[in-house]
Amino acid sequence: MRWIHAMSAVALLGAVTAAARPADASPTREQYRLFRALSIDLQGRIPLPDEIAAFERPGFDLDAWIDQHLQGAAYAERLRRVYLDALRLEVGSMFNFVSNPLVLRRVRVIDPDGNPAYVYFRRAQRRDRVESDLDFCLSPEETGITVAANGTLTGTAHPIDRAAWNQRTVEVRPWWLYRDYRSASPSQRISAGDGSAMTLSPVAGLLMDADNTTPTTTVRVCREEAQTADRGAVYLSGRLTALPRTEPYPGGRVTAPPTDSAYARAHAGQMVSCTSGTGVSLSDDCGCGVGLERCMPGNSLGNDPAAFNLPDNVPLGADQPLDSRAQTQGDWSRFWWAQEAVHFLDDLFVRDRDVRGLLTDRGTMVNGATAQFYRGFAGSTCCGNGTQFDYAEPAALFDPARVPTDLTPHDLATWRRVDDRGPQAAGLLTTPIFLAKYGTRRARAHIVYNAFLCRQFVAENLALTPSTEPNLMVRPGCAACHAALEPLSAYFTRVTESGWTFLPPAAFPALNPACATRGGNSPNGGCTSFYDPAFGSSAQGMLRGAYGSLAHADEGPPGLARAIVDAPEFASCVVKNVSESFLGRSLTAEDQPLQESLVTSLRSGGFRMRSMVRALLRADAYRAANNLASATWREGATP
Amino acid sequence: MKTTLQRACLAALLFTLGCNSTPAPATTPPVTTPPVDAGAVVTRPPEVTPTPVTEIPGHEVLAQDRTPKEPPRLMPAETLIRSYISLFGGLSPQALQVRLRGATSDNLFDTWGDYLSALGVPDYAVDIPRAPQTNALMLAAFERIGVALCERAVQNDLRGAVATNDRVLFRFELPAGGRALTDEEFGARFDVLHRRILGYPAALAPESRIPRFRALYQGAVTRHADAGARSFNGPEAGWASVCEGLVRHPEFHLY
Repeated sequence: MRWIHAMSAVALLGAVTAAARPADASPTREQYRLFRALSIDLQGRIPLPDEIAAFERPGFDLDAWIDQHLQGAAYAERLRRVYLDALRLEVGSMFNFVSNPLVLRRVRVIDPDGNPAYVYFRRAQRRDRVESDLDFCLSPEETGITVAANGTLTGTAHPIDRAAWNQRTVEVRPWWLYRDYRSASPSQRISAGDGSAMTLSPVAGLLMDADNTTPTTTVRVCREEAQTADRGAVYLSGRLTALPRTEPYPGGRVTAPPTDSAYARAHAGQMVSCTSGTGVSLSDDCGCGVGLERCMPGNSLGNDPAAFNLPDNVPLGADQPLDSRAQTQGDWSRFWWAQEAVHFLDDLFVRDRDVRGLLTDRGTMVNGATAQFYRGFAGSTCCGNGTQFDYAEPAALFDPARVPTDLTPHDLATWRRVDDRGPQAAGLLTTPIFLAKYGTRRARAHIVYNAFLCRQFVAENLALTPSTEPNLMVRPGCAACHAALEPLSAYFTRVTESGWTFLPPAAFPALNPACATRGGNSPNGGCTSFYDPAFGSSAQGMLRGAYGSLAHADEGPPGLARAIVDAPEFASCVVKNVSESFLGRSLTAEDQPLQESLVTSLRSGGFRMRSMVRALLRADAYRAANNLASATWREGATP
Repeated sequence: MKTTLQRACLAALLFTLGCNSTPAPATTPPVTTPPVDAGAVVTRPPEVTPTPVTEIPGHEVLAQDRTPKEPPRLMPAETLIRSYISLFGGLSPQALQVRLRGATSDNLFDTWGDYLSALGVPDYAVDIPRAPQTNALMLAAFERIGVALCERAVQNDLRGAVATNDRVLFRFELPAGGRALTDEEFGARFDVLHRRILGYPAALAPESRIPRFRALYQGAVTRHADAGARSFNGPEAGWASVCEGLVRHPEFHLY
């Protein structure tokens, strides 16, 4: 069969090879077809008239043209498409990124002069008044309205006492209105934006005051949220038990005032980071930072309020959106996470970096939006029950100290490479979009196994029997896949599921005596958040997901990256993915010589894609591709 | 109604006659096993021995095509959109959308978002993969956006006072006074569009292409001979038809 394929291709190539066109000969139809195919693959569009005219000129050097176009944005996009089709690195609203320490919602109240006004606040904010701690800073008695946890307002607003107004709220010139929000007196108010993703474009509601006629120049925000310190002291309210519901709560609030946690009592007065969710929940010193840059604005009290105009569809790139509409603050983060992956891939292919960097590169690309996320937003999901393990300061996958400080949220079109995110960084594997898209340890391991080793888990033909065996590596019917999957997923043991919080070994040893099972019962609730009772013993608990391989758990995503790129299938999988995309068909047994030669090209080229793609485009398989109709052999090729 | 009732009774009677006379337990249906004929011998059906095709009468000298078949690739949706935009002069997608929608309410074009799924653009957020081959909806979308492109291009290029070199697609002149085109004149103009849209000279296309498009053109010209001022005149309709034929041609979408 292989000789048939080879002979037909050779026969066809007699008429096809464009590079060998005599200087005085006009191109043949097949040569035009090849040039058009190359333009589609390397320029991302059909050739323009002047390009066709250049191609037709005597002496046109097609090989030189190919070399010239094996670089640049269109070439990178072509290769990026291969991997995004495989990894599908976008998440929709099903991944609900609404972190209360981040979201500034707003309440419409009546100011002391009797005019409507918006006041921004965040639900997770600690305050030193029992009337408003973890709630809106102005109590129902002060405003006349009650703000329920679900965002509904009840009551009738009345003018707020001026003293309370001045004491509880302040005016700020925020980052979403002023380009120079970090200066002492911001004055560079942004324009409305053009609706593209390249300029910051707040939704209309954020640009107008509550009277719907006055353009917003400052926003009024609760005083605590306006604080700018990076660290704050753990606040102790002195409330040890919840107030009984038999009598009204102070100030008319409808939710019970919070009580001091065990961690707060043990660490009262100690300093915590204001960029972590734990810090915000513990310290009344923690605000949204300079110009509120550690918070996202919202135009309502809703759970995920609208914030910025963004495109829904960017198949041609974020700089060429097909549309634009008001989107939520969660959409903002999701959009830019996906764009980080796009620019990470583009940078790798444009600069012809080692393709193993897809998994191993400790660097990434950041723009103003992602820099803001890594500096101030990423830590907001940390650390929850981790305080039981004294984990209140996130050990980030992307060290915020390595984020360029000069990138502001307005620098959306500026993408800059950060060479080293930190010791736990591993290519795409530790980007927020990958970790959000593939929420579980097994999902993460599976997609890596599939996309980078071109292998799939296939269940064995076996009748399942009831089993209480928790170890899927040995449970009948499960073992065939999980014997390989569990050790791979163990690499993600230290990255929380549906998140990016890293669990450092110092706070979370893989085997932890403090989380041992007690008399056959599960350990306490804090332990079960992180340690799996099914694999614990009376001597120690085992970190969730680590049972597949304790060694892998401690190696983390960088260990998985090393294991995958060192696997013999990695190079052939790269070649397979790229070749099948360019040829528009699956590789078959007849393509084995081509695949082997491309693997050799990839390896000898230091795992850089350009030389391999060049070899592919010059291969007979590409040049004769998609021209082997059933009539081909009748037209001269040997069947 | 009577007939229906009679049929129901007859069916019940036949059912009863066909059943075992032993009444079944009222609560649990009987477990039936296939009847076994003690005298029968269960055998496997005979295996069919493969017969080489050349031994089938009449096939002795029939050649077999065992060559790999590699159908043309479908142009990626992103490339299609970018190519489409380049055909209209390289406007931004949103600016082009405004042009395609036009000022009139002829509903030639909706929004890009309405066509993306049909054109095969993947939606990674909800795990909808890229469409690797055409389907009926995709062809309908090709048709729709092709019509919009060509009709707007006619309005821009042939109806407007746009210099030939500034036109987006129809970079040729029409004969003055509405004079009919000769075959040679048609061929030269058709070649401009053919090269622009399909990427090679019309002379290299299959022999039937120019005559067939000539017939298409002429048919539209004839049908629009008496068109009013609001509709395309004959040559305008003719060139719009030719353009639409090329933009939705398989050679445009496949490569």
